Amino acid sequence: MRMLRELSRRKLRSSLTILGITIGIWALVVFSAMANQINGLVSMGSEFYADKIVVTDGEAFATTPMRLADAAVIAGIDGVAAVQPTVELLWEKDAPVGFSAPDLVSGSIPGADQGHETFELHVATGRRLSPEDTGNVIVLGSTIARKHGVTAGDSVELRGEPFHVLGTLQPTLTSPDITAQIPLATAQRLYLAELPPLVGENLVADELVNQIVVYPQSGADFGAVAAAIEASVENSATMTGAEWGDTVGATGAIFNAIIIGVAAISLIVGGLSVINTMAMTVAERTREIGIKRAIGGSRARIIRELVAEAGVIGLIGGVVGLALGTVVVMLANEASRAGGTVLFDLTPQTALFAVGFSTVLAMVAGILPAWGAARLDPVTALRYE
Amino acid sequence: MHLIEATGLHKTYRQSRRTSVEALRGVDVRVAAGEMVAIMGASGSGKSTLMHILGLLHGPDTEDGRRPTLRIAGADVTALSDAERTRIRARSMGFVFQAFNLVPTLTAQENVALAAEYAGASRPAARRAAGEILAALGLAERTGHRPLELSGGEQQRVALARALVNEPQLIFGDEPTGNLDSARTEEVLALLRRINRERGQTMLIVTHDPDVGAACDRVIRMRDGRIVADEPAVQVRAAA
Repeated sequence: MRMLRELSRRKLRSSLTILGITIGIWALVVFSAMANQINGLVSMGSEFYADKIVVTDGEAFATTPMRLADAAVIAGIDGVAAVQPTVELLWEKDAPVGFSAPDLVSGSIPGADQGHETFELHVATGRRLSPEDTGNVIVLGSTIARKHGVTAGDSVELRGEPFHVLGTLQPTLTSPDITAQIPLATAQRLYLAELPPLVGENLVADELVNQIVVYPQSGADFGAVAAAIEASVENSATMTGAEWGDTVGATGAIFNAIIIGVAAISLIVGGLSVINTMAMTVAERTREIGIKRAIGGSRARIIRELVAEAGVIGLIGGVVGLALGTVVVMLANEASRAGGTVLFDLTPQTALFAVGFSTVLAMVAGILPAWGAARLDPVTALRYE
Repeated sequence: MHLIEATGLHKTYRQSRRTSVEALRGVDVRVAAGEMVAIMGASGSGKSTLMHILGLLHGPDTEDGRRPTLRIAGADVTALSDAERTRIRARSMGFVFQAFNLVPTLTAQENVALAAEYAGASRPAARRAAGEILAALGLAERTGHRPLELSGGEQQRVALARALVNEPQLIFGDEPTGNLDSARTEEVLALLRRINRERGQTMLIVTHDPDVGAACDRVIRMRDGRIVADEPAVQVRAAA
């Protein structure tokens, strides 16, 4: 209480200093929340791709056709445990290239992984796809389900055709959220239909795939298996989980660098403004500090009082900055949720760190002026006008 | 036994690299417990410097072969560290200044309690002690007021309460009535006198005002850093 009274002696100056810290902490909170989300995606993604090798046609990633027969060739390679031939399509045939990944439709035979898939998907409503399912049935990832506002039992339109929703999945924060699963045969039919006539006329739907997911045996050298696949299947390209992590991890590293940058800037700007404010405070209160010293206030006590006062500036700035950052994160998430992408993840750790950081920063910055105050000669300070 | 025994006090203040001021040029002084002593003299006579040294705000010169001694209640306090001098000031001394020197953001009670906290009291105990001493000085109604909401006389009584709250052996006044009109001066003097009589606290008061000197037991006169007269106040009154 006493500290707040001291701060309110110079309302404008205290407010401006607090505002400076608030802006720094606000930026720190928003960027950290964004980085949390991206780092989350990267680590979940790495986990998702960790146990598999994705084989595609070498021309372009999962867009040009491969033959189902290739899957049989791969299954015979040393070190391969299971093979899941897949047809992967964009939900929207001509999806525009945007900031976020487009929604996908994946057709495969459930259970072809023979239990090697370790990434667990949990059902939110209805049930999973089973090998017996045929025709226009679909299981939706959480983001797609939310976007279309459907649950199990509803109907959803895909490529102009109605699909019966068998089930919806719980969020995973990575690609399954934006993937819908349909039976392989249905996906093959849709895929053939969208191929250009010149390419499509010589192909038969049930021989078509465009992506083969390979599960190596445990302990197998993923790099060696991938190399063997590329050698046996003409014109194929492979990607392992490690490669995926390298590619996407680079994005996360950039965001981490931005956060460190923002933290460093708020450290310097906030710290300097606290030093300035507290130095002015000490100059103004020279006489008062002299009185306190004269009547028996120890140096340590004078330092403690001033450092605590600086800490309160940092605490208020941190709490207000966190509050504003939380509002921005919530509004941005609310706005982007309709589009199916969540940009920010504000964790309790981030919130605690932001407030703790600004408080400690201000206290450290307050030490220098407080030390100067404690060194004042009481008699000289008492004469100070 | 004397509460204060000082011999050979010199103090030189360096003003710049070339110039320095010899504020004290060899002062010996003794003050008995319970005495009320006025230190009088013109500006620059060294009276404030003497008070600062006896009040442990500054140390006497020890360079150039000076061998000062300063004993308070029998203890040698000539060469203590800043922390030790601060602790003695907090626990055994009270200070009243000309400009009242209250902390403007604190209420009367908080200003007084601050001194008690510095002496080691817990915050509730300090507040309680502050309330009691303010009531004893007739300020029971003003405990929640800030300094600017109080009259000059009231502010000086709050400052006096702050000096008294730890029941120190020694109270120093630096022109304590310098900012007050004659009616308020009478009032504060009467109060100091009463406290000295009733509580037996020793007082050293630096003043210009002959009326203040006359109210004390004894007057020490200083000129050019030396004591030129030291006599009972009755004689001062007779001479005037």
